[in-house]
Amino acid sequence: MAPPLSSLYTLSFALAVLTTLFVAASLRLLTILPNQRSKSTPWRKRPVATRVLVVLGSGGHTHEMFYLLRDLDTRKYTHRTYVVSSGDAFSAQRAVEFERGLEEREKQWRAEEERNDETANGKVKIEVTNEDGVTKSTQEETMRGERPACLGPDHYNIAIVPRARKIHQPLLTTPLSCLWTLYCSFTPLLRAPPFLPDQQPTTPYEAAAADLPDLIITNGPATAVIIILASLILRFLNWRGANSRSKCKTVYVESFARVKTLSLSGRLLLRIVDRFLVQWVELEGAGGRAEFWGVLV
Amino acid sequence: MAESWNWTRDSKLCFVTTGATAPFTALIESVLSPSSIQTLRKCGFTHLLVQYGSAKDVYDICSSAARLHIQDNKQDGEIIIDGMDFNSEGLQSQFKLVQKSKGLVISHAGSGSVLEALRYQIPLIVVPNIGLLDNHQEELAVAMERNQYLLRGDVQDLASAIRKSEGFRIKMSQFPPVTSGEHRETKSFAAIMDETMGFMD
Repeated sequence: MAPPLSSLYTLSFALAVLTTLFVAASLRLLTILPNQRSKSTPWRKRPVATRVLVVLGSGGHTHEMFYLLRDLDTRKYTHRTYVVSSGDAFSAQRAVEFERGLEEREKQWRAEEERNDETANGKVKIEVTNEDGVTKSTQEETMRGERPACLGPDHYNIAIVPRARKIHQPLLTTPLSCLWTLYCSFTPLLRAPPFLPDQQPTTPYEAAAADLPDLIITNGPATAVIIILASLILRFLNWRGANSRSKCKTVYVESFARVKTLSLSGRLLLRIVDRFLVQWVELEGAGGRAEFWGVLV
Repeated sequence: MAESWNWTRDSKLCFVTTGATAPFTALIESVLSPSSIQTLRKCGFTHLLVQYGSAKDVYDICSSAARLHIQDNKQDGEIIIDGMDFNSEGLQSQFKLVQKSKGLVISHAGSGSVLEALRYQIPLIVVPNIGLLDNHQEELAVAMERNQYLLRGDVQDLASAIRKSEGFRIKMSQFPPVTSGEHRETKSFAAIMDETMGFMD
């Protein structure tokens, strides 16, 4: 006869279970932390759609972030999610302006391209009229063969998470508010809301937007630490293939104002993020992994 | 640009920004001191615009003292002094005017202003606010000066930095750097993003 279940309610059994869980969790963490995961995905053909999540912070961080993103290619990073803290209207405003700027830039490029086509392609036109119409269309296609720019409100969203610590909030309740922020961080990580409510993704762009982000970019506000932690939890659990599909790659850029010492967020995230970038040569190799490629902002 | 400025082709502007929220009053005092004003006039500056933020009282006292000083020493040339508090649209138009008039910007060492001003390729003097605790302004200013992006000034002796700025225009490094670091391959952030994602081309 099997022993009664109550015979398992002993201290030694509880310890054994806890130890097993602890070892299993540590092994799992070791496999997902960046030492095991290669710094970058192996070279591949770029997918049609990619979602990037950008964590914005208070004034200075947001300012630097948009300098970092100034050459963002919307053909590659087809959906952008900007995460801002509640009450940070400035950052949200800057995100909208940045997107508008991307649209303006694209319009200018188009206009320039058309002007160039008109002036330089007189010869091409003659060639085309000599041949049949099919050749003409294929030729045009090869010229415009590249993917379309992904701009406008259905290609980005602004997600708001509660502030990790309000100004003058007592230290005692901070862990609680951080947990609340952590809980709320899963929403923007898991998906960007569809442009129209209850819309099922029909295009690859919409599918990417409804999926986990491929890349998370941050430069050090407190919210960033929590968002990165949330992404780590998703990868720990391999939630919707967060780890097996190499989603949620993380890039941290230390502030340009940090010359000799890392910020608190930087020190916390040093061993967790996939890539840790610093902008001054003095910090190169900090913690054995900080990369320096010059001033980036 | 105010009507009373008498702006001409030969005008040369020195623009001073002291931070909008917590103004750096020592910088306002320093730039309006007789030695700075005299140096500016010798270097051919015709206009001095001070963004005083919320420290209008300090600016008013110092600027009237400076105007008296100018009247007493007319032989050194005219310089028009004007002030502004805070521009919600940013400082682009001021920086552009400096760029056009081949002038100079003197700024507090906040990274935001520094990053913005440098994009106009104009000589920039930054003055770290030593009074701020736990602040990395001094470190940043030293590092930026070492890389020839800007000049570092001191509220005690702004005049020497102003004199240096005249020759600095030809020496200053391009910002953001096209190539930087010692013989290393540099990357733009866009390239680092692509590399992390493994995107070819």
